[in-house]
Amino acid sequence: MRLPRFFAKKRGHRRTGSREWGVVGDGLFHGILLAAGLFFGGLLISGVAAPEWRINHDYVESRCTILAKGLAKTAVQDPSGAVSTTWQPRLRVRYTAGGRVYEAWSQGTSAEATTDRTTALARLSRWILGSQTACWYDPTAPETVVLERGYNWWLWLLALLLPGALVVIGGSGLVRVLRAWGKSEERRAASAGLAEFLDPLMHPAPTAPGHPAVPNCDDLVNSPGTILRYRLPIESPESWTLVGFGLFAVLWNAVLLVLAVGAGLDLLGGKIDWWLFVLLVPFLGVGIGGVVLFMRNLFLATVVGPTQVEISDHPLRPGRRYDVLLAQGGAGTFRRLQMFLELEEQATFRQGTDTRTEQVVVWRSLVTDCRDAAPAPNARFESWSVMEIPPDAMHSFSSAHNAVRWRLVVRGTTDRCPDFTRVFPVVVFPAEVMPAPIAEQRRAQTEMAG
Amino acid sequence: MSDAQDRPVVSPRIDVQFDRPQRRYQAGDRVVVRYTIDECQGDRIHAVEQSMLWYTEGKGEEDLGVHMFRRVADPAMMPPRAAVGDFFAHLPRSPLSYEGLIVKVRWCVRVRVFFEGARDYVSEHVFEVGDVPPARVVHMRST
Repeated sequence: MRLPRFFAKKRGHRRTGSREWGVVGDGLFHGILLAAGLFFGGLLISGVAAPEWRINHDYVESRCTILAKGLAKTAVQDPSGAVSTTWQPRLRVRYTAGGRVYEAWSQGTSAEATTDRTTALARLSRWILGSQTACWYDPTAPETVVLERGYNWWLWLLALLLPGALVVIGGSGLVRVLRAWGKSEERRAASAGLAEFLDPLMHPAPTAPGHPAVPNCDDLVNSPGTILRYRLPIESPESWTLVGFGLFAVLWNAVLLVLAVGAGLDLLGGKIDWWLFVLLVPFLGVGIGGVVLFMRNLFLATVVGPTQVEISDHPLRPGRRYDVLLAQGGAGTFRRLQMFLELEEQATFRQGTDTRTEQVVVWRSLVTDCRDAAPAPNARFESWSVMEIPPDAMHSFSSAHNAVRWRLVVRGTTDRCPDFTRVFPVVVFPAEVMPAPIAEQRRAQTEMAG
Repeated sequence: MSDAQDRPVVSPRIDVQFDRPQRRYQAGDRVVVRYTIDECQGDRIHAVEQSMLWYTEGKGEEDLGVHMFRRVADPAMMPPRAAVGDFFAHLPRSPLSYEGLIVKVRWCVRVRVFFEGARDYVSEHVFEVGDVPPARVVHMRST
């Protein structure tokens, strides 16, 4: 028996890995996740959840007398040598179980354990020596008794969530691998459905009805224009940069605030942690820098004024002409305002552990070119033009890792601010399919005209 | 085609004929394919898969969309008893064949033969859909 090779065909400058080994690795990875989930889930259920559930369901109620009180101390040493100590209130009680009198130390629930001895003592002081109270004992081992019942929801959440997530991820991955085992790629692609459910990230956005691999344009036609039929949504990379800077500034400064409050409380308590103060200085510098960067980008994004593009129809078809309105708000004069119709190819590929995306503009046509455009006060600058989609143009195309995208790109140059670019995606459908007799008639007419 | 390692010791010969010798079609056209499987050299075939699909080529990871798929596993329809097969499909409105710079879309017909012992052999035959001219570079950027 020959083992599959690690590398298969070569794609450009890159080698692709062997599919068989990929499937084996994928299956192994998900199998390990599933096994780990089942193992840790089993441990948590048998060690924490099941005993707690038994106390609440199986233990028999009785009355007991409190004879003595004490704290159970548990010290655990971690690999680095640090010792963590927990304290748990314990009571020695006398009770009757099955006609026999027992004397035993009560079992504390995990919810009662605390790392603070004072808290444990306070909890212990609630119990009065000699008093009588309800207790519950294990019918299979009557010397095991508890004085409190209830659930530690955090442990239940841990027991269900973490191993549950591992079981779901590992299990679904394993089912996906097993379903694909021994099947050709055509068969796998043809029997999508469960595969899409199991691995939704591997599939592209919804396609236009009746047009496979053409992106859906519902989101592009849900906003009416003021003059033309539709106002196109903006897809500005600057907006995402702004959101990124904003998120960074908020998160960083939140961490900084927590550290600063801790340092301030220490200072008030007469304790000075010099290392924390030394750490806070560069943190503060980065925090201020983040806010300044965000404010600068916010200023640049808003100072130029909004750009709007309206179009007479959508989706677009090759060979047809469309009215386009470019509207630019803001103060001052725009030295140049251009709008291009572009066709861009986009390919996503993996290079080692990185996922890279490359874009190439393969067709560009100038739609509008305005010089010294100056919006009037409380009004916007408007430029009306007509654009044509070439009759033999490629339609918009979108698959999981590849795309051919049409877009209107507005580029502006101002006196006071840096140049700006704003992108308005559009969708071009394939030319309408004509019934064969009409197509032949058209061809004949074209030949005669020629 | 399958990799050398996936092939049986002797590869079968699969000839495919389209109803249009130029293999040029338009969206919505009917594509009729006839194929013959020869030279199996005694290897037993237990299934044949016929498919019509598009796939991407170029810089990105390969994507594919199966438009028509049929698996034939009836022993009476297996070579050498039935070495000839045919199938047809009406093409969808999209995608059209495209010769881009980093994204290419190709349409093809595949006949995949499964031998006893988990080996398979695939024969792929490309055809054109639509008349989109090849693309040329204007501007390139990477992220």
